[in-house]
Amino acid sequence: MRQASVVILTDETEFARLLTACWQAERQAPVVTVLTSDLWREQQGPTRDLVVVGPVRDGKLSNVLRSLDPATAVILCAPADLKEFGQLRTKYPRLVHVPLREDWAQTLLLVAGESLRRVEAARLARQAERAAAKNENHATLSRYMLEMKHSVNNALTSMLGNAELLLLEPGQLSSQSLAQIKTIHSMALRINEVMQRFSSLASEMQEAENASQAETEETDSTISQRR
Amino acid sequence: MHLFTVEKYGETTAVQKKVLIVDDSPAEVKLMQSLLEKEGYWPVGLNDPTRVEEAIAHERPSLILLDIVMPDRNGYQVCRDLKGSAEFNSIPVIMVTSKSSVSDKFWGEQQGADGYVTKPFTRDELLRAVRRFV
Repeated sequence: MRQASVVILTDETEFARLLTACWQAERQAPVVTVLTSDLWREQQGPTRDLVVVGPVRDGKLSNVLRSLDPATAVILCAPADLKEFGQLRTKYPRLVHVPLREDWAQTLLLVAGESLRRVEAARLARQAERAAAKNENHATLSRYMLEMKHSVNNALTSMLGNAELLLLEPGQLSSQSLAQIKTIHSMALRINEVMQRFSSLASEMQEAENASQAETEETDSTISQRR
Repeated sequence: MHLFTVEKYGETTAVQKKVLIVDDSPAEVKLMQSLLEKEGYWPVGLNDPTRVEEAIAHERPSLILLDIVMPDRNGYQVCRDLKGSAEFNSIPVIMVTSKSSVSDKFWGEQQGADGYVTKPFTRDELLRAVRRFV
């Protein structure tokens, strides 16, 4: 699993210090960057999976939140009343509020852990979708090639057969023409070898897919029997 | 009728070595005809697989070379019908096809085919298969 990246955005040094220390004690610590509201520039900021917004100077909170990408996971751990938080949630659906109570650090770590897992899961899902789209393209190409195999083989039959007929009865053909026909014949045989390799590859892949399918069905059957 | 015959040999010889080629591609038929003619066979071409029985009754071939992928009636169907017919089931049938997988060959044998040649074939491969029967 790749290391997650977290930005702690606060003007309170103690908040950042305590949270960083708590995170360092965790088994899987993310890469933590601490920024003050003055240094915060969303567009130029480091790439991050999660932004933890801690206490900031008066009047800075709305500016900070406004600059955040709505798609970024954000945990707000700063004083905010319920009404204000409700308004913020409407605008930032991925915003989670952790009240600044006695056990805020532990709660925040739990929420942050879940949030980072979700970010990672979403990243893996996107990666899988890209891979699936790529595989789909390859599959389309392969299906097309398999469908074309018949036509290619028919064309090769004609090329090979007619070349052989010309070689059997060269007639008035010059030695150069004969050599060219022999080249056509051997190249047609070469194409045939390539097509045969392609066919065996397709068969091997099909067998592997069938074996995998059978294994999956067997596992499913074992699980349902245990239940 | 899509029948074309080559009157090159005497009647007796021709009947003994007559080969019916059933393929929807005229170019393929022509090619196989040329290859077989050079070896002394009397090849008869047919492009319409729905008229195989009619052609056999008319030509009385000693061997049938049968393509599989054809419109209206595929080679498997033709072979199944011929092998199920008391009148025609003694005539050997060689499938000549671009369908090259093991399952295709197996299915061809299940229909009663006596031989199987995959396209593209060389002259030697075709003649070797033909000589097994005529």
